[in-house]
Amino acid sequence: MFELDIAMKHIRSRHRQTLFSIIAVGLSVAIIVVSMSMLSGYTSILIDSTVEKQAHITVLPKENEDYIHLYHGLEKHVYDMEGVEAVSPYFQGEAALQHRHDVEGVVLYGINPEDENRVVNRERDMFAGEFTSLANPGSRIVLGYKLAKNLDVGMGDTVTAQIPESGPTDFTITGIFRTGTPADETTAFANLERIQDFYGAGGVVTGMGVRISDVYTAETLANGIEIETGYDAISWIEQNADILNLLETSESMVYFFYVIIFAISGFGIANILIMIVMEKVGEIGMLMAMGAPRRSILLIFLLEAGILGMAGVMIGAVLGYVSCLLIASYTIPVPPEMYFGMDHLPIVINAENFVTAGVFAMVINIIAGMFPARRASKMNPVEAIQSV
Amino acid sequence: MSDEKIIEIRNLTRVYGDGVEIRALDGVDIDIEPGEFLAIVGPSGSGKSTLLHQIGILDTPTSGTILLKGVDITKMSDRERSKTRNRELGFIFQYHHLLPDFNALENVMMPLLIKGVKRSEAKKIALDLLEEVGLSDRIHHRTTQLSGGENQRVAIARALVNNPSIVIGDEPTGNLDSKKSDSIYELLRRLNREHNQTFILVTHDEQMAAKTDRVIRIVDGKVVEDSRDGVPVREI
Repeated sequence: MFELDIAMKHIRSRHRQTLFSIIAVGLSVAIIVVSMSMLSGYTSILIDSTVEKQAHITVLPKENEDYIHLYHGLEKHVYDMEGVEAVSPYFQGEAALQHRHDVEGVVLYGINPEDENRVVNRERDMFAGEFTSLANPGSRIVLGYKLAKNLDVGMGDTVTAQIPESGPTDFTITGIFRTGTPADETTAFANLERIQDFYGAGGVVTGMGVRISDVYTAETLANGIEIETGYDAISWIEQNADILNLLETSESMVYFFYVIIFAISGFGIANILIMIVMEKVGEIGMLMAMGAPRRSILLIFLLEAGILGMAGVMIGAVLGYVSCLLIASYTIPVPPEMYFGMDHLPIVINAENFVTAGVFAMVINIIAGMFPARRASKMNPVEAIQSV
Repeated sequence: MSDEKIIEIRNLTRVYGDGVEIRALDGVDIDIEPGEFLAIVGPSGSGKSTLLHQIGILDTPTSGTILLKGVDITKMSDRERSKTRNRELGFIFQYHHLLPDFNALENVMMPLLIKGVKRSEAKKIALDLLEEVGLSDRIHHRTTQLSGGENQRVAIARALVNNPSIVIGDEPTGNLDSKKSDSIYELLRRLNREHNQTFILVTHDEQMAAKTDRVIRIVDGKVVEDSRDGVPVREI
């Protein structure tokens, strides 16, 4: 492999310039690894929080119907399906909550707290009081943190719920939750039976939350429920289609920038190779005279691009890894409700990102090396030898 | 000398330029026998280097044929040309054209490595040749650490390392003073005798040319003299 010998000598003989082009590749790889890790972090936090803070599948009434009647049978049927871990029937209604002069419109959920906790862990989000206090069919209510703030109420205070169909009813606040999502401002929970009474709709629910073991099978399972029961079933993926699409779009946008960043470092590689080729014209001619085929000349310079790229990728991977660790360990003072309750920049370090960035960089470096390498291999040996 | 020709050049013409035509070679016919030590002479621009590049398969003629051991090298593919250069030809240029990043030994080994010879074997052959050109004690020196004459000796060792049938020298002493020039000439002469390889030297040094066995004089792309030891080889 005399081609490799020559490539290595060329690189070593210009160690200062080659060092800079290696650093350029390294920095671009590091930047991209960090950026990919952050994007992965955001994506996984977004998906985790989405998946954790809502039912994986929501079963809704049949078309043209307002309620699910005789819901106990449906509840059992869905619960017995493979992959289903928990089912929580609920009654959802709108109401105005009033405390003294403050009135807020809310979405009021009637639930069985034990069932609900199994579908979405509400207990974990409790800021004050206990979610399970709603097990008692009395007039108890659990409010979102911001809602309580807007109504200027606290634990043990009473709020009055009003709906057009029924008279005002007082509820005692036995819990306040805080999720860091807009739900904190608009949501309230109460006992299912109590709410069914309140809306005058005994024995029916407006929906059912379902928790499943593998969140990525939600689509299939939701279709299964629809086919088997005839009820409408929406998976979390369908429900969050907008945000998932947005994620995908932003990911492809980001790739566009990756290409630009790599292209810049690729120009560095191309530049140094063009310099080496220009300087080595006579040498290339002599190699041809000695019988080195054009293919070997091409290979010499592609190897140089490859070696420079590889060194850059390795430096970039280490630099990127260290940067990720540093960023991940840094706590940022942001209000938790602003970014899904995060206080760290989310970083997910996975091998896939390193491999993608590395391969991507190598491909662009080889493409960058192609132009000078081809130029060298296409030289006329007589002209090359006489150029000295 | 045997009747078998190592090189047969027939009606070789090389025309340059696409506006103003320059006939660098114009119907050249030359036969060269194995083991000959000959000089191609002529004024600057006469076409002698062009002829050398044709024999060296570094350029292709506009018309005519060159048979090297009976094979027409003007019809070869690029790959065959490279291979033939590597196996059959050794080049010595006016400037040594050694690879500056490699030491003397590595430079001499290069044609063997291109050929695909194992490194250990290549090293052995290269060391022998470096000894033959009198540089055994300078093998780890780079071109920058060697004198002009020494570099040219390394280049000669490199040209001979693949045991080519033809050694081509394009002004091999053109860059050296007369004393060094003489010693390089003596070296080439000795190697020619010892290895029985064909040496074709392009030079404008008439004194050196006179010392060779055969002089081919080219003027304006045509052979005007072809004499062996002063006796014409054929009628021009």
